[in-house]
Amino acid sequence: MDNAQQIYESTFIINASLDDAQVEAVIARVSDAIVKNGGAVTALNKWGRKRLAYSINKKTNGFYVNVEFTAPGTALAPLERSFQLDEMILRYLTIVLNRKALASRAKAQAAAAAPPAETPQIPAREPLFKETPAEKKP
Amino acid sequence: MITTRKPRREKDSQMPRKKRTCRFCDAKEIYIDYKDEKRLQRFVTEQGKIIPKRITGTCAKHQRQLVQAIKRARHLALLPFVSDTIR
Repeated sequence: MDNAQQIYESTFIINASLDDAQVEAVIARVSDAIVKNGGAVTALNKWGRKRLAYSINKKTNGFYVNVEFTAPGTALAPLERSFQLDEMILRYLTIVLNRKALASRAKAQAAAAAPPAETPQIPAREPLFKETPAEKKP
Repeated sequence: MITTRKPRREKDSQMPRKKRTCRFCDAKEIYIDYKDEKRLQRFVTEQGKIIPKRITGTCAKHQRQLVQAIKRARHLALLPFVSDTIR
């Protein structure tokens, strides 16, 4: 089961005092880590600088980034470790996107597609919603 | 800590109780997203506490999802653990 590809979603908070180039570098580092561990990034949303609801490491602002990716379960441990070691990342949260989450997202997207007002930041990710057959390796 | 429940005031008991329905069931919601902080904010008190389902009328199934979403949002500092006003 551990080797089955699953759809994950990571949200992490980057130190907002960095300038844009440095923020991009952190994001690139994370995507690199995902690919290196056998995953593939399917969507990347930058929410931008936001005020934190409470201070983390004495910082009150953070740059939020949300990444969706497919990866084998074994990729998570090294990935989370790289999050932890990165001093520019204040917080991270990785969750598995279960069937319910994907279905609700498909529904929301269908609703958003009906009127042609689509947010430009979110790229089309149609193939995501097909059920990926869990491939099992011995 | 033992708290005794205050007797219901007469005024309250005279008011016809409106049946509350689960807002998520009404909206046919199947997944509650932690990223939707505006939405979640309506289910926490000003202090930042999660409002029990007996107040909001949320069904058990959705309350469980809601609680998980709120806790995830708190972890990412989208929602406060304790509000600034009482800190």
